[in-house]
Amino acid sequence: MNRSVRPRDDEAIPGARVVVIDDDYAMRLSCRQILAKSGYVVEVFEDGAKGLEAVLAQRPDLVVVDLKMPGISGMDVIDRVHAIDPDMVVVVITGYPTIGSAVDAIKAGAYDFLPKPFTPDELRLVVGRALGRRRLLLESHRLELERELLKRRFVTFVSHQLKSPLTAIRQYMDVLIRLEGTPEAETQRAEWLERSRRRCDLMVRLIEDWLTLSRAECSELVRRREPLDLREALTEIVLACEDVAEKQEVTLDLALPERELVVAGDEGCVGVLFSNLVENAIAYNRPGGKVSVAARVERGEVCVSVTDTGRGIPEECRGLIFDEFFRVKEEGEPTPAGTGLGLPISRRIATEMGGRIDVESEVGVGSTFTVRLPLIPSEGADQEMHESQGALA
Amino acid sequence: MSPQRTILIIDDDDDFQASMRAFLESQGYRVAQARSGREGLEKLKQAEPDAILLDIMMESVSEGYGIAFAVKHQPEYQAYQDVPIIMLSSIKESPDERFPRSEELDLIRPDRYFSKPVNLDLLLETLSRTLQRV
Repeated sequence: MNRSVRPRDDEAIPGARVVVIDDDYAMRLSCRQILAKSGYVVEVFEDGAKGLEAVLAQRPDLVVVDLKMPGISGMDVIDRVHAIDPDMVVVVITGYPTIGSAVDAIKAGAYDFLPKPFTPDELRLVVGRALGRRRLLLESHRLELERELLKRRFVTFVSHQLKSPLTAIRQYMDVLIRLEGTPEAETQRAEWLERSRRRCDLMVRLIEDWLTLSRAECSELVRRREPLDLREALTEIVLACEDVAEKQEVTLDLALPERELVVAGDEGCVGVLFSNLVENAIAYNRPGGKVSVAARVERGEVCVSVTDTGRGIPEECRGLIFDEFFRVKEEGEPTPAGTGLGLPISRRIATEMGGRIDVESEVGVGSTFTVRLPLIPSEGADQEMHESQGALA
Repeated sequence: MSPQRTILIIDDDDDFQASMRAFLESQGYRVAQARSGREGLEKLKQAEPDAILLDIMMESVSEGYGIAFAVKHQPEYQAYQDVPIIMLSSIKESPDERFPRSEELDLIRPDRYFSKPVNLDLLLETLSRTLQRV
């Protein structure tokens, strides 16, 4: 694993607000000192009632609470904190003899626990991790809101996607006409024409994708169900992608089993399903990276995985990448040209064929998309199927 | 002679940026560019523009509104709160339609709203009028 890339959930929130609830005076004092030194805004309280009052009023990012206190117990605090804000992160402090209750606390929704006595470093580590969790929850929440907004304003959004290339091209024309006869027009014309052409191509692709998606939604696309050998389809796709891969300095690798991999579907659709995955794996890779396409039979299913060595998908985005028009955008990373419809189309086709797509990813390491489709046993292949189950090519 | 005015264009569309820059420069303006809202806020401090052209739909569907709010109301950008903002969008939906009867609108109301493609004559006229006021 590449440790030079820090996992995102270890990144805390600078200036995060932490509430510490503990009936032990010395504990409150040291927690405050250690955490304030790390740049957090810390408030300490001696019992659950006062602590919860502060939680309600100030909505901190993290609550650190002693499990064993007189009055409102630590377990009650966990419940009530989550009633106030389900995204608030709770860490419990336990004595060693009560380590069993730490497990109960985690079950009740605490994120982590700190067994007493602990060192300042242990406290900082657990708090840092918990705040990383908080950052992730907030980010997921923000993306979820964005997704809701997008759904509500879907027609507007699609119109925007369709109109943007046209307005950009029109703006080039307007400015060129305006500047006609000036040296600027002469220097810019060729480049702007070329750029306009690229926008036109992308727009054509967008409309085609949009059409494919809506046809897939009506199941029109996959109505044709002919038995076809996936090995041929995958070989063709990988061949077709070789030029692009070479340009991006990415190596393509294909591993196929000896046996036939027959599925029922339309050749064109199957092509679209896997091309989208392979093209993404190339586009989101890095120079010198690798894309591995591997097929095998697993429990009566054809299982095709497309693995890249690219930037990976941030955890908070993983649930959204199959949404129409969702694009992973990261500060400082170029977003490859695309329509935002590739993955939704691929998933749609896989579903219509009775299969599914799963994704695993690690930021800075890469992603694996795995497609599973029902296998149609070919003649004399039954025996072979049992033998090759789970085996890689 | 009036000093050269600087226009900051905040827009994630490279092509729109390219044509608008060439046009504004041909008209004697200096142009600063930013391709995201965040970059726009950084460039604001560096470029100290006389006016801002701000796209609404960038990374998120309403990023431009957030940026307008930041410029007009956040203490950090207080020095720039009077810089005129001209909002742009490919969709013909003015902020008044987007936030009907909303108090929010008063917080982010741009000085002018244009839909793309931008009418060049109207833009020049608006810029010269707005910049005279400042």
